[in-house]
Formats: sequence, C-alpha cells, structure tokens
Amino acid sequence: MKGTKSLLAAGARIAGRNERYVIWFYLLNLVLACFGAAAFSNQAHAILDHSLYAGKLLHGFDIVVLIELITRPEFGPAEAWLWPAFDLAILFFLATMLLLPGVLLGYASDNRLPRGEFYHACGQNIWRFVRLFLFFALIAGPISGILGGAQNALVKAADQSSNERLPFLVQLACMGIIFLVLTAIRIWFDLAQIQVVVADQGKVRKSIASAYRGVKGYRIRLLGTYVSIAILAGVVLLAGIWIWIRIVPAASLATAFVMGQAILLLLLAARFWQRACAVAFYRDYMTAITVERETIPSASLPVIALVDEGGPAPLPQT
Amino acid sequence: MPFGKMLWCCIGTISMSLPLAAQNPPAVIPDTTSAINSRQPLSQRVVAYDIDAKYDPSSHSLEATEILTYHNLTGQPLDTFPFHLYLNGFQPKATWVREVRQSGTRDEDLDDWKAKFYGAGDIKSFEVVGQGDLTSQLQFIQPDDGNKDDRTVVQVRLAKPVPPAGFVQFKIKFHDQFPETLARTGWKRDFLLAGQWFPKVGVWWHGAWNCHQFHATTEFFADFGVYDVRITIPQNQVVGASGIQVSEVNNADGTKTLTYHGDDIHDFAWTASPHYKVLDDEFQSSLGTVKLHIMMQPAHWSQAARHALILKQSLDHFERWYGPYPYKTLTMVDPEAGSAAGGMEYPTFITGETTWWVPGGLLLPELVVEHEFGHQYWYGMVATNEFEDAWMDEGINSYTEVKVLDSIAGKNTSILNQWGIRAGERQEQRRGYIGAANLDPIAQDAWKYYSFGSYGGITYGKTASVLLTLESIIGEDTMQKSMRTYFMRYRFTHPTKEDFLKTIEEVSGKDLRWYFNQAIYGSQLFDYEVLRIDSSPTDWYKEGIKEKKGETEYTSVVWIHRKSDFVFPVEVQIKFDNQESVREHWDGRDRWIKYTYQKRAKILSAEIDPDHKILLDRNEFDNSHTEKAHKAPARKLTNYWTFLNQLFSQVLAWFMV
Repeated sequence: MKGTKSLLAAGARIAGRNERYVIWFYLLNLVLACFGAAAFSNQAHAILDHSLYAGKLLHGFDIVVLIELITRPEFGPAEAWLWPAFDLAILFFLATMLLLPGVLLGYASDNRLPRGEFYHACGQNIWRFVRLFLFFALIAGPISGILGGAQNALVKAADQSSNERLPFLVQLACMGIIFLVLTAIRIWFDLAQIQVVVADQGKVRKSIASAYRGVKGYRIRLLGTYVSIAILAGVVLLAGIWIWIRIVPAASLATAFVMGQAILLLLLAARFWQRACAVAFYRDYMTAITVERETIPSASLPVIALVDEGGPAPLPQT
Repeated sequence: MPFGKMLWCCIGTISMSLPLAAQNPPAVIPDTTSAINSRQPLSQRVVAYDIDAKYDPSSHSLEATEILTYHNLTGQPLDTFPFHLYLNGFQPKATWVREVRQSGTRDEDLDDWKAKFYGAGDIKSFEVVGQGDLTSQLQFIQPDDGNKDDRTVVQVRLAKPVPPAGFVQFKIKFHDQFPETLARTGWKRDFLLAGQWFPKVGVWWHGAWNCHQFHATTEFFADFGVYDVRITIPQNQVVGASGIQVSEVNNADGTKTLTYHGDDIHDFAWTASPHYKVLDDEFQSSLGTVKLHIMMQPAHWSQAARHALILKQSLDHFERWYGPYPYKTLTMVDPEAGSAAGGMEYPTFITGETTWWVPGGLLLPELVVEHEFGHQYWYGMVATNEFEDAWMDEGINSYTEVKVLDSIAGKNTSILNQWGIRAGERQEQRRGYIGAANLDPIAQDAWKYYSFGSYGGITYGKTASVLLTLESIIGEDTMQKSMRTYFMRYRFTHPTKEDFLKTIEEVSGKDLRWYFNQAIYGSQLFDYEVLRIDSSPTDWYKEGIKEKKGETEYTSVVWIHRKSDFVFPVEVQIKFDNQESVREHWDGRDRWIKYTYQKRAKILSAEIDPDHKILLDRNEFDNSHTEKAHKAPARKLTNYWTFLNQLFSQVLAWFMV
C-alpha cells in the first residue's frame, strides 16, 4: 500500500509538472468532438430553432420528445450523425497514438521537453507504437473474446436461477474481472511504450518482453495504482453527472457545458496520471534491461536508471 | 318468446340434463353470485365450465377433465361447435409461430426453434352428453388463413342439434403441454402462468360462430359464464387464479387441491410458483369490498406497496369515471423474471412487470399494472372481440390509461420523472403511433396489420391519440361521460365498434362521422405546419424608412399548411411583439390558408393548436414557427452529444492506447 501510495504520488508529481499535455489532449478531443457532433447539431438546429415545441427539451428534458426528434425523417438517418462521431473518436485514438511518445518522453524528462524533441519523439516512434498496438490487439483481443464468452456463458447459467439479481451480479463480477485483466494488459503495454520511447528501443518485441519481466513482482502494486486511479475517475464521472443533474439548471447551457467539460478533463487527467505512474515505476523499478541507445536526441533527456528488482537505484545526474 | 322456441327450450333442457344428474354438474348455467358484489348475475351467462386439473411441474404438463355446459341463446338450432385450442399455437408450423417469424411479436423473437417452446392442448376424449363419444368426429379448421398445420381451432358436428334456448354439455378430457413462455402463457424455471389452457368454445356473434385461429397479434373472445375450477398441484406451490378461492385441501400424495369459482367472467387463468410472496389488501368499492391479492417475486417484495397503491388508485379512478368494479377479488401477479408472461390480463387476474432495480421515478410497474387493470373494463366486462376489434380493448384501454396516469402522476411525468429526465404516457402513446402512422387503419382485424409494430402503433398508440384528440372536439367532460355511458351500457356484452362510436355521438350530440371516417376507418395522415411567417413595413417603398418599435406599421402574414390528407379544424395563435395575441380558427378544408394583419407590431410566433389538444399530428416540431431563432434547445442537445462523443473517445483511447 505504501508502495502504491508513493507511486501515485510520484505519478501525480510527474503529471502535475506536465499538465499542459492533458490540456492539449483535452482541447484536441473537444475540437474533434465538435466536428463529430456538427452533423447532429446542424440537424437539431434546423428542426428546433424556430419551433416552440423545442421548449420541452430546454426546460426540463422530455425523453419522448428527444426520441421523436431523432426519429424524424428530416433529422436524417442515424448513420448520418453517428458515423461522424465514431470517425472522430477513431481520429482521437490515432492522434493519441501519434502524440503519446512525446508525452511519455516529457514525463520521463526532469525538465520541460522542448517542442522539437516532443515532435521528434512522436515521429520517431510512430511505427513502433502502431506495432505495439497491433501486439496489444493480438493479446487483448482474444483474451477479451474468451473472457466475454465466459461472461455470456456464466450470465446465461445464472439466468436459470430464480434469483433475479444473480445474472446482474454475475455480469458485474465478470465485468470487474475483465476490467482487471485488461488493465493488467494495459499496464504491461504502457510500460512497453515507455521503454520504446525512453530507451529508444526499435524492436518492440524486446520492449514487450522486458516490460513483461519488469511487471513481474510488482503486479499487485501496479494494478492497485491503476485501479485506484480508475476508481477515482469513475467516482468523478458519477459524482459529476449527479451534480450536473441535481444542481445545474435545465436551461443553463454555459454551466452545463463547463460541468461536462470539467468531468471530461478530470477523466483525461486520470488516464495521464496512470501513464505518469507507469513512467515513475519505470524509472524506479524496472528490472535490468539492456538498452542500446542508438541516439540521444537531447542533453535534456534523462538517463534512465536500470536497476535490479531489489529496489530503486539513485538516479544519476544528467 | 314464441311457443315453438319455448317448446324447443324445454325439450332441450330436459333431454340434455336428465342423463347427467348422477355424475355431472346439472346441464344448466348456475346463477351463483358468490364471486361478485351483486345479488343477481350480471351477464347473460352462456357457458359454465367445470374443470378438474392436475398439474405436474416437473414436466410442465397438465391432465384435466372439463365439463362445459353451453346455453344456446342464438335463437336457432346449433349442430356445430368450434373450440379454441390456443396452446397448439406454440408449434413450429402453427400460424402463431409463422406470423411471429414474419412480423415479430411483443415478447420473444423466434430466431431458433427449441423443443422447450413446444406447447399443445390435446383433446384425449370428447363426449357430448347424451350423444356419446365424438372424439373421432373432431376436425381442425383454419378459418383465417387456411394453414392446414394450424391446430388452434377444432370443430365438432353433433348428430342432434341443440335447440334454441337448449343446453348442451361437453365432457372433454385433455392434456396440456405448456411451452416455456414465448408470450403470455407457459412456464419459466419453476413458475407457471396458465392462460388459454383449456378447450374454449367460440362465440356465436352476429349470426355465425366467431372462433378465429390464434395469431401473433390477436388475443381472445369468449362468452360470459361461470367457472368452477379445481387445481391439484404440489403443496409447495403458491397459487393464484381468477375468481374467488373456495377451498384448499391437502392430499395424501403431497399435493393439494385448490378450488376456485368465478361468476360473470369469460376466461380463467391461474399461476403457480413456490417463490411468490403475497400481500393481501382491500379496496372499498361502491358495491362492496374488493380483495386485492398481490403475488410478488421475492426480489420485488419491496415494491409490493407500489403495486397495491397503483391498483387502488386505478380502482378508484375507474369507479369514479367509468363505473364500479363488481368482482370480489382482483389478483395481481408479478411473474418470474424473463418469463414473457408480464403485462397480461384475464378476468379478475392480471400480470404486472417490474425488475428489482426499478427506481421510484420510473413508473413502468405502475403503467403496466394500471394498463392491465384497465382491461378489467375494456375486455373483461366490456367484452369486445379482440380478434377483430383489438383497438376496442387495447386502444380504448390505452386512452383511459393515459387519463388515469395523467391524473395520478402528471401529464409530462407519468412514465418517468427521474434525474431531471421526464416522459409522459400521452406523448409515448403518440410516439408509438407516429412511427406507424401511414400503414394501417385502426378498424381492421388484428392479424391483418402490416407488422407487429404497425399493430402496436395503431391499435394502442393511434387509438389513444384519436380519443385524446376527440376531447378537443367534444370536450373532456363529454368524452368522460361518453366513456361512462359506453361502459354502463355495454358491460357484460360484446359491443361492436359502431356501438362505441354511436355512443360518443349520442352523448356529445354531434355528428362525428367526418372524424371517425378518417381516424378510425381511414388511414389518412394528420400533418399540419406553419409554412411561413413574415412581417415587413407596410410603407416599405418609402425611401429612408426607419423601423421603430411601436410606431412602424407592419404587414404581417402567416401561412398555415395542411400537408397531408386528414382534414381537421384547428386553432392558430399568432403572437406579436407588442404582447398582442390573436386566435384564428381554420376548418382545414383547403390545403393552406393565409392570415394577414396590419399592426404596429411584428409577428413573434405562430402556433397551430396552442392548447396542445391534438395528438394526431405526426410532426409537432413544425406546428409552430418563431420569427427569431431560439438556438438554446439545439445547443443543449449538441452539448450532450458532444459530451458523449468526447467520453466515448476518451474511453476508447483509455484502453486501446
């Protein structure tokens, strides 16, 4: 627990020192989402702007009127406003993959990473990250499939019971397990990403293997760290929505916007906190890994301490 | 009564009843009243069912003997009798299954056929008392679709016709195999809902037998009478049934026999499960005490009080608005989860539907219970033909459901009032209708709708919307009087659609054919819009004119457009920026109308049906037009949608990279 706390604190310090990354990603997501919602917005404005009936959506929220709106033929087929949103979500995912190496390098740096080095890291690692994602998909996909199948079978079996809550509880438990397993895989690949970037490891398979070795012995600690942050994020989401519903007046658009964006910003910060924790762990605890640094982009880059499992080694001065 | 008929009656009665006296119930219809709060029978009793049934939960099957006494009140000799065998609908080649696969149903989709879905009502022997065993004479008929594999109607021809006013007694031994519930009837785990489980004679109606096959969209039609039913079942089962419970006797073999009696009902359903928890309550009606028997699943026990409350509120509203509930009992069953047996009505016996997690602001349990209770009136007592006039039970009931729930929980919050989100039942009924507005008329046989969706949207949603809109023509009070008159006049009978419509015309004193022809018999679309509004200075041609509020005179024009073929008079309200408001009345006969005003004020808005009395208009968004754009509603929705997009993106990125 103490280790988890120190990791959380170390991660918080790193993320806090580099809060600009969270803001950038938040703004990027907001801009993309605005584009993604443009089709929906246009259709809604075309139907609602001059209609008194629209008041039912503004003062309170009549779900039947909303359904009536989105099923109107002139609102267009659902694909017309669902697909842009989905496409832009994919774009955000790709942008995250593209820009993440710079973020990780920044987190690993003791000093503010110059912009040029940030983009250099992004460009240098783009295909490595694509390959890492493919490996992640190859591992997480089948495992999710198997766990999902097992979940369905268990829920189906639980459905035979007269205890109506049982299928729900089984589903909840299975989802919890799936979440833990996916989080464990995510930790593994987060560390592999860090090694690829920080150690400038071109062979991603080596990074995956050494990240796997590095996690050994620290699984619970790392999982505890990640899950703690995820739970906190969940609480933020639920509490934020609760406050949004309870306190924000139905017709107050600005307050609702600020409330929603604050929730999203905090959620994003939580994920960056996780990554920062992984960087802190990498710096302090990763097992001895042979890293052949091909190039050192800048003097500002840190030298990563590669230590034995026995404990952290003092960071050498740059 | 003519002498000839009286003679037939006496001969018939004597000849049919004498040989039975020793072992069978007498061949008369009892005039018992123990199950009703009335000293006299309330209906013209045509049938008396005496059924002895033994249920085996392990095989979900039942062996039974039924003695059906039929009173020939048709005024003519009868030599053929059709019987419904509804359980045979749950067979792979049956019409019910065929239609479910083609058009869907309210409950389970039948993508795959499984052995457990099989249901059957097999007649083992069929004896007509006094005429011998006619089992070999039974013949399956398919009056609706000619599907030779459908065995839901069986017919027998008697050697000797039953004279007018005479009685005939059928002694039928049958075996039921209940399906796992696909819709309404059957088992789920160790629960059973036994509906439509016994051979049931058709109805002689308008000079012919009315005995339709069992369809995916149809319900039932039967004559009033008396039911005496004995159910033998393992002692661990908790049982509920139509009518009153007369006795319960434990048998030596670990079973028990429960006896039920029902008066002036036209069907009998029962349920059994070892898990029910029961809440007994009472309602004082103007006719006497009504015992409420509320059978809940253990996981829903905390909602028992909610169910009791809505039952009592419904009883109270119906009694005040339409007429008294005359039965001594009302059993409300909360069926097994996932059983597809929820939301169903039988005389004095209804099934609700809920889940363990339902929050207090989500009124779906109340909605279902109220709806099914309403069927005690619209189907139970006013026993319309559910095969041919489904709208007269489901639609009229949906209308009264809206009225009652509006009264109890508010117009805009009668379904949902939780977390700032609202939904009202009247808008939900309308939403159901506008999704299927142009496919079918209301007045048609239930199995002839384009799809199950169309059947639901039109039968429930459109009928409710038509009747709510009718209030704008004749007034809400007159509509309520019409409904009360209709109920009191036609309870315990089988009225037709014209009986209903003429009652409304009679009470309102208005000729409403123009409306009924479009709304009930036609499939015209109702769609009006404010086509355009415009205000421009009257002296627009003068050079250097400067507009000043309150001083400049404007010529304002409003165009109202009837977009479709339903002609209906509407009110139009035009508001000006000097607080002035003008109301216009348009008969709607032309395709459009233009209103012109010259005022020292500009138009702010124009609105069709400003009092929101018309629910038939399929697009309410274009029923008004404001001069200025009000962007807040769309911005609010866009904010929600953007938030969801961002959240989705972040969750995707959270796990994937």
